Amino acid sequence: MQTKIVSKNFEIPHANTMEVALQNGRYSSLGKLFSHTPQEVIDIIKASNLRGKGGGGAPAGAKWQLASDYEGKKYLVVNADESEPGTFKDRQIISKDPHLLIEGIISTCYAIGSNTSYVYVRGEYEEFSDILQASIDEAYAKNFLGQSAKYPVEITVHRGAGAYICGEKSALLESLEGNRGHPRLKPSSPEPEFYFGEPTLVNNVETIASVPFIIENGAEAYTAYGTDCSSGTLLFAISGHVEKPGVYEAEFGVSMWEYIEKLGGGVKGGKKLKAVIPGGASTPILPAHLVMEAKLDYENLKSLGSALGTGGMIVLDEDASMVKVLKNLLRFYHHESCGQCTPCREGTSWVDKTLDKFIAKTATKKDLEVLKLVSKSMNGQTICVFAPAASGVIDGFLKHFEAEFLECIK
Amino acid sequence: MSFSFNDENSLKIEHLAKRYPHKKALLLPLLWLAQKQEGFISDEAMTRISEISQMPFMHIYSVATFYTMFKLQKKSKRVVEVCRTLSCELSGSEAIKKHLLENHSDTYEIVEVECMGACGGAPMCTLEGKYIENVTPQMLDEVLNAN
Ligand SMILES: Cc1cc2nc3c(=O)[nH]c(=O)nc-3n(C[C@H](O)[C@H](O)[C@H](O)COP(=O)(O)O)c2cc1C
Ligand code: SF4
Ligand code: FES
Repeated sequence: MQTKIVSKNFEIPHANTMEVALQNGRYSSLGKLFSHTPQEVIDIIKASNLRGKGGGGAPAGAKWQLASDYEGKKYLVVNADESEPGTFKDRQIISKDPHLLIEGIISTCYAIGSNTSYVYVRGEYEEFSDILQASIDEAYAKNFLGQSAKYPVEITVHRGAGAYICGEKSALLESLEGNRGHPRLKPSSPEPEFYFGEPTLVNNVETIASVPFIIENGAEAYTAYGTDCSSGTLLFAISGHVEKPGVYEAEFGVSMWEYIEKLGGGVKGGKKLKAVIPGGASTPILPAHLVMEAKLDYENLKSLGSALGTGGMIVLDEDASMVKVLKNLLRFYHHESCGQCTPCREGTSWVDKTLDKFIAKTATKKDLEVLKLVSKSMNGQTICVFAPAASGVIDGFLKHFEAEFLECIK
Repeated sequence: MSFSFNDENSLKIEHLAKRYPHKKALLLPLLWLAQKQEGFISDEAMTRISEISQMPFMHIYSVATFYTMFKLQKKSKRVVEVCRTLSCELSGSEAIKKHLLENHSDTYEIVEVECMGACGGAPMCTLEGKYIENVTPQMLDEVLNAN
């Protein structure tokens, strides 16, 4: 059931070193890359239907085009902030096959006409970003990077310092400019991001790591995997109540339940499944009956009232208390709100505290109303989608498991 | 007391300054270097960083306090972090935290943190920033008593 494109070298010992990386195909796509013009490379990425793997699924080719259409200095920023609970895939790439990421960065820079790239890695990942840095040093020594390379690219690893919101692309750029990680207001029409006023492309680690396969094998080799709208593969992650938590790459469109059983080893201890949070903590929960029909692609999960997100599934068994699970998530949102917008700053605090009453079983009918009202107020009135995501999470629990919350009302 | 970066770090800063289009972007790297050098970020260090990055002191202070990993107070104990977010909680992080508080809080500062991107190895802790996954109370006793 596994399809290994990005994870092909994960199990090879020392694949993070240049010697082993070269023996296993790394940098081999560069010959093909330089035989194309930059615009041809963008067209290949468009034809491959590669979608951003940081959670949103935005078509990568269109974003590349936007950045490419600007003249002059521009930047590629790779998002390795990976802080969405249930998500731990980018870390595998950075520590197990960093040369794949470097190869992808070279290709992407060439396509959009950038010579400068930053990899923003969450601060906690120090031991993993050290591995990436060592590989970057090797790539400089071999002239894959630097001014003597065929196409000059500089890569700088930039370390974050603990703030979930810095994963949001505009907050990430603020942080990279030396500011607090506050998301920026969104423009009204499509445009690239800007770093110190220069056009900038922000892509997730796994998105960039998917590029070398497409360059080497062509767009059709990629669209041969997955569904019509969700092409290729994703490094799905699975954790929670399962026998074999981990990161296993699979084609888009596979059955969620089959994935849980075959790759995740099934629900832990032979218990019954209660629900799955399908794509990181910010995606609405799916009760077991919907999990049975769910397919792991953007469109299917949307049709079931949830989202594919980062593809990081959190599995909950029959004994899980939905009140306790929601409390855990709302504590996270409360802790991580950047505080710029009142509905988010006050709302996340309020729902977090309200949940305490449900945990203590001292809640009233009014508290349930409060939960619903505050959730509503958090949707659609904020700078970034952090608060709307929290709102969707609350609504998902109340939609499918309201009975458990009613049981906590005295 | 004044603060200056040691020779090794000064060299690093010189190198870093060439990697960014604006001195202001050095802020996080400089805060990291200061914290590594002294174990925390002092007012004097922030004053020095303000000079190098050519940003007002209050800006440095405001940024340093935004990020949870920057420590503005000197630590007396070494730090063990325990992740409390969902996958870790489902795998028993509450019991791990209790065990740590009851048995190791004299020697270590026990800090709860949010998801560390190690949910596949839940429950997880860090010791002085190093990841320890699939932890059990016995395992923690061995590691913490040995260190
Ligand atoms: C609150 C929030 C947190 C995010 N965290 C991350 C993250 O940790 N890593 C990531 O790649 N994208 C994250 N994103 C998505 C980014 O804003 C951005 O869409 C993405 O990096 C673009 O890359 P992609 O198109 O390759 O996915 C986050 C978005 C939001 C709203
Ligand atoms: S919605 Fe929340 S996290 Fe996003 S900008 Fe507003 S306060 Fe910050
Ligand atoms: S929930 Fe603990 S590491 Fe992700």
